[in-house]
Amino acid sequence: MPLRLLKYAIKKEHPASRFFKSHDAPKKSYDVVIIGGGGHGLAAAYYLAKDHGITNVAVLEKGYIGGGNTGRNTTIVRSNYLTPEGVNFYDASVKIYEGLSEELDLNLFYSTRGHFTLAHTESAMRTMRWRAEVNKHVGVESRVVGPDEIAKACPQLDLSCSGQAPILGALFHAPGSVARHDGVAWGYARGADRLGAEIHQNTEVLSIDVKNGKVCGVKTNKGYIETKQVLCAVAGFTPRITEMVDLETPIVIHPLQACVTEPMKPWLDTILVSGSLHVYVSQSSRGELVMGSSLDPYEVHSTRSTLDFVEGLTSHMLDMFPFLANVKVVRQWAGMADMTPDFAPIMGKTPIEGFYLDAGWGTWGFKATPISGKTMAQTIANDSAPDLIHSFRLSRFEDYELTGEKGAASVGH
Amino acid sequence: MKLLTCPMNGSRPLSEFIFGGEYRDAPDQKTCSDSEWAAYVHNRSGAPGDKKEWWYHSPSGTWFIAERNTLSDKVSRTYLLSANTNSTQEQAK
Amino acid sequence: MSLRTTKQNGEWLDRTKKINFTFEGEAFTAFEGDTISSALWAAGQKVLGRSFKYHRARGVLSLANHDVNILVTDGIDTNMRADVVLVKDGMVLNAVNTIGGVKKDKNSYIDSISPLLPVGFYYKAFHTPRRFFPFWEKVIRKAAGLGIVNFDYPRILKRKLHTHCDVLVIGAGPTGLTAACVAAEAGLEVTIVDENQQAGGSLGYDRSGNVAMASQLTDLLAKVAGYSNITMITGAYAAGYYPDHLIPIVAANGITKVRAKTVIVASGAFEQPPVFRYNDLPGVMLGSAAQRLIYRYGVKPFNNGVVVTANDYGYRVALDLLAAGTKVVAVVDLRAEASPMAAEVTKRGVKVYPGHCVYEALASSDKSGVRGAIICAYDEQKNVAITAKKITLECDGIAMSAGWAPAGALLYQAGTAMQFDYAVQQFVPSRIPDGIFAAGKVNGIFELEQRINDAKRAANEALRYLGLSAPEVVTERHVGASPSHAYPMVPHDKGKNFVDFDEDIQIKDFVNAAKEGFDNIELMKRFTTVGMGPSQGKHSNMNAIRILAKIRNLPVEKIGTTTSRPFFHPTPIGHLGGRGFHSHRLTSLHQWHAEHGAVFTDIGAWKRAAYYPTVGQTKEDAIQTEAMAVRQTAGIIDGSSFGKIEVHGPDAAEFLERFFTGVYATQKVGSCRYVMLLDESGVIVDDGIASRLADDLFYLSVGTSNAAAVYREMQRSQQMWQLDLGLVNVTGAFGAINIAGPAAREILATLTDLDLSYESFPISSVRESIVAGVEARLIRVAFVSDVGYELHIPMVQVPQVWQALLDAGKKHGIRPFGSDTQRLLRLEMGHAMPGVDTDGLTNPFEIGAEWALKMSKSYFIGQRSLQILAKKPLRKRLVAFALAENFKGEMPMDCNLVLEGREILGRVTSIGYSKFIDRCIGLAFVTPAKTAIGAQFQIRTDNGSSVTATVVKTPFLKN
Repeated sequence: MPLRLLKYAIKKEHPASRFFKSHDAPKKSYDVVIIGGGGHGLAAAYYLAKDHGITNVAVLEKGYIGGGNTGRNTTIVRSNYLTPEGVNFYDASVKIYEGLSEELDLNLFYSTRGHFTLAHTESAMRTMRWRAEVNKHVGVESRVVGPDEIAKACPQLDLSCSGQAPILGALFHAPGSVARHDGVAWGYARGADRLGAEIHQNTEVLSIDVKNGKVCGVKTNKGYIETKQVLCAVAGFTPRITEMVDLETPIVIHPLQACVTEPMKPWLDTILVSGSLHVYVSQSSRGELVMGSSLDPYEVHSTRSTLDFVEGLTSHMLDMFPFLANVKVVRQWAGMADMTPDFAPIMGKTPIEGFYLDAGWGTWGFKATPISGKTMAQTIANDSAPDLIHSFRLSRFEDYELTGEKGAASVGH
Repeated sequence: MKLLTCPMNGSRPLSEFIFGGEYRDAPDQKTCSDSEWAAYVHNRSGAPGDKKEWWYHSPSGTWFIAERNTLSDKVSRTYLLSANTNSTQEQAK
Repeated sequence: MSLRTTKQNGEWLDRTKKINFTFEGEAFTAFEGDTISSALWAAGQKVLGRSFKYHRARGVLSLANHDVNILVTDGIDTNMRADVVLVKDGMVLNAVNTIGGVKKDKNSYIDSISPLLPVGFYYKAFHTPRRFFPFWEKVIRKAAGLGIVNFDYPRILKRKLHTHCDVLVIGAGPTGLTAACVAAEAGLEVTIVDENQQAGGSLGYDRSGNVAMASQLTDLLAKVAGYSNITMITGAYAAGYYPDHLIPIVAANGITKVRAKTVIVASGAFEQPPVFRYNDLPGVMLGSAAQRLIYRYGVKPFNNGVVVTANDYGYRVALDLLAAGTKVVAVVDLRAEASPMAAEVTKRGVKVYPGHCVYEALASSDKSGVRGAIICAYDEQKNVAITAKKITLECDGIAMSAGWAPAGALLYQAGTAMQFDYAVQQFVPSRIPDGIFAAGKVNGIFELEQRINDAKRAANEALRYLGLSAPEVVTERHVGASPSHAYPMVPHDKGKNFVDFDEDIQIKDFVNAAKEGFDNIELMKRFTTVGMGPSQGKHSNMNAIRILAKIRNLPVEKIGTTTSRPFFHPTPIGHLGGRGFHSHRLTSLHQWHAEHGAVFTDIGAWKRAAYYPTVGQTKEDAIQTEAMAVRQTAGIIDGSSFGKIEVHGPDAAEFLERFFTGVYATQKVGSCRYVMLLDESGVIVDDGIASRLADDLFYLSVGTSNAAAVYREMQRSQQMWQLDLGLVNVTGAFGAINIAGPAAREILATLTDLDLSYESFPISSVRESIVAGVEARLIRVAFVSDVGYELHIPMVQVPQVWQALLDAGKKHGIRPFGSDTQRLLRLEMGHAMPGVDTDGLTNPFEIGAEWALKMSKSYFIGQRSLQILAKKPLRKRLVAFALAENFKGEMPMDCNLVLEGREILGRVTSIGYSKFIDRCIGLAFVTPAKTAIGAQFQIRTDNGSSVTATVVKTPFLKN
């Protein structure tokens, strides 16, 4: 039993202090205002302080920290993307994640379990090979494996998927991991708070003041704040914020749903994804199966649940794991995802001076939390985006230079 | 499952429909600038509100317009585009 | 020692049917109708399960489907809820998540080291140094979870039903039953659903010892039975609320999806445990659980009981206990003010202690039950026990009645705004969405008469909502003592006063969580995990809110509630998944392909024959054999899955001009032209062939997987353009056979009178004629071979023509070939395939398809974007390449990268060995610098070796 638990046990009073201070109201001005107290916003605040010494920072969260997509995603971390830019970016994130529990002194349960993207068709196999080739080239451990290796990692899986969609192979991605999503937000919040940033919960931005193409302040439900730099990190709400500064983007909002079963003794050690069956699943350290599916098919700005989603998902889960018929789904929920036309984020500077975007995170925001925080902090500190996120710039759409991540999504045959 | 009213077939479950995106008028491609066209192709009015949208009733092959609030997900009106003569004529040009 | 009573009026048992089962290796008997818990409790078994975190002994808590600590396995299924699952003869049951059995669970040591495991402990330990975490994680994962899943559990396919009704009533207690009668009386179709095995709700067990109550229920049920327009569903729960009044009702045999015009929620309330030290011991149970034991199952909850209460309900429980033969030692009432009902129990010899609390329950020596209760005065203002004078009461059980929380999950899910009503110390609906009504306890109405009245009010409102006339009924809000106590919690220095039994969360955990900054209800939930267990907070969320309100010194309504999500009870994956459907489209030749050994592949929605291996033949060999047949004699392929669309009408050509990139206005009748479809951004969507059959009729054939989407976009464009034409998707109506190869013409000539000479029927032309007695459209294509004919014929007649072609070609050695072979053949011809050689970002310039673009047209989809793209430097281009002659190294594959040092120049999109020309050939994207004929580039293979490729001209065949 670790020593620090003993220390807790011996003390009569619970020794811990607040993870982050509570503030009555924001100050009159800050060097940087971060809109959105999710993982990304909090990470940006943390790295602004830690890497750049910028601590006069307010994180404004209209609800509670980590209450958006940070607390709603299925916590998968991976870097097996299709483009070198994508792989490099997410790999940098994975590398930070691997040491993050230690850095933030909070156990994020970062658990490397290996990640299989199952292929049920020849065309899916092609895409797997494409991803594997790019991953390998960039130095990320991904490879195409056959059914035998999948069966070894997950003997419970019905490789024929009830005879309906036989598995031909998979992209195996060794670094694939899961983590405690809440912990990521709380750890960054505590880190940012200790370095001097202020976190304001229940603080909603009502408008953003732009004069002569430059940001000069934000109006909140707790008063006006002067600032020259604003970071928008509000996945799911991005269009509402960009509308405040008349900034057009390609982002549309689609709900992404998930659900979780009752706890059972852990048996699923790997993370499994099937694009054809629209399933991704892992088993948490509580013993619950955490499951997700594809994006809802139409735009809604709401986190409502649908029966269609859970019916479709469970039906396909049964194809993969027929013995789960009487395992019970406890809860379903949803988040709102910023979707972009090329399935890549929109990061960096915008035509409005001092207004930075960390958006378009679709269904892959959680895995990018550390690196997006780091690169956005860099962008704000230098008023210039680092090379690592150059291909994610907003202007790529006007330039017809969409990222290649879209490539994989449309390979139909 | 939510219900949606197809102008030709009445109220049907949402699973019979395919979302076709927001209904948008294209700029005149002969006179618009490259960046105006790029904005039309890529950008969307993503903020929540009342939208005019394309929907397709799959079993019958019917495209129609739904006026829907994307925040409340309430549909106020559905109709065939051709029933709306103004926009029909604009498009035909 | 049996606690079974004599037969109770209205009990759910059939005492004529005995049941034998075992639990933890010990034999038990029960009656039909017993749940596992009631049977075990009747037999004196107290420890029914172990808690999740501390492995504490647990017994009956609610008997209402949230006794989550009492989960059992029968060896087949697991996590079975013993409080509601009926016991069956021959069951062999064991508690889940114990080591060495429920009585002597070896993990119970965890309880004694619980100070080592403070709230959120797992965030604070095990992560430094990093390298040890995998070890700790293994330990934690071993402790995690409840039951062990049976990997052999059968995939039982559950049916789904869809029904409609005018009024869906959720809850068949007195409120729901009354509401159903009112609606039924008005002639409406009513469905009423209740999760219990029998209807009646609290009317069946909340009797104050009064036998006459039973007849009131009987009368009400008789009245309901008299309406033929009421459908009663018991033993099934409303699992969630979904938009437009869709409610899935989950029963043992499947889900019924009810689409209701209106919904009346009469789901009642969950009794909430007061919180005191050791309130979790077996023998400490909710008052309503004690009543359920007595009246449903004829089981005396205990012999000598103490009732701890904070409302008048506890007195009713005391009377019921007395009626069952339990000696009630005392009623301990948190409230200082004496209850009007106190006199009644005093009269029966029960001592009442107003202003007192149970400070702690005393565990029996083996911790398997209760041996007494320490009570003392309670300061209701400060919510603390006044421990100066403690009294120890001997007892073997404690019934708890401190208040209620509304079973309002579906109301929340529907978007109901709730407000806190201090008169009843409960959240009640303040604004309910249209068509939904709430009545009874869930609406904050508790007195039986008032509940009946509230049911009438709600039902009449529902009638008016449906356009019927109905009287306005007014419900009086609650007066008098609150049915729920404002703060039924007793702090204790030593803790173990449980708020959440699922997760073993004590009062101090909340205090500590708040100290660490998790003082918002949602953050507190996430940090403490309150309400996150399988019961989803049914007995814990309300107390958690109260505790947080107290910590923050705020009124309860300022704290708010956590979000309610489906499901109301955990719902089996098999129920939700149902039978599961995978739809496939089969061509009319499918049977033939199967009989001839075809290996099938999924392309879009279709099953296509990929190749036909003979016995012992590899895939590669089969493909080469089939390809050689096409090159040397003839082959035929079933192309019935191709998308086939007719465009007919005066504006047909105009439509194609706008929709595709080429020129169609001048296309001659009888000729074919290539069509390419782009999206607005200039990306290639699909391609195909347009055959002009008449001035006003084009017949389009497009790729298999995109056909539906292409047709859909055509329809949308037509909606916008409103041209004078019609569109018909004839994909399913027409089948297609492609016969290709040097002998194709000769074979086909034997089956048709059509002049097949190359002069009168050249490449890229279309004819209509009779082939093998069937009307056919013949298209002269050169996709897989210079000589090739696509025969488009009615789908049902395809087998007939197919067979005729095989027969006619027999002497030439004609062979069927599959879609994999077709891939190789078209590669030999140098044709790029959208979706294979293009991806989601490829534009026509990048595949060298400038020839297919008529940029000078006034409009086509994607044209404006191409104008922009044309000004930009090309970043990649598709080239044809060949490997060295007699190449013997590791064969590159599709999607292997083209590399120059560390730089990725592109990738292989198609590659294959062509036996006919004896070369490895392929298509690849490369940078513009590498596109000249003769340019060389390096492909990295799967094993890492580098292979040199040379850019060549297409078609490869003529190299």
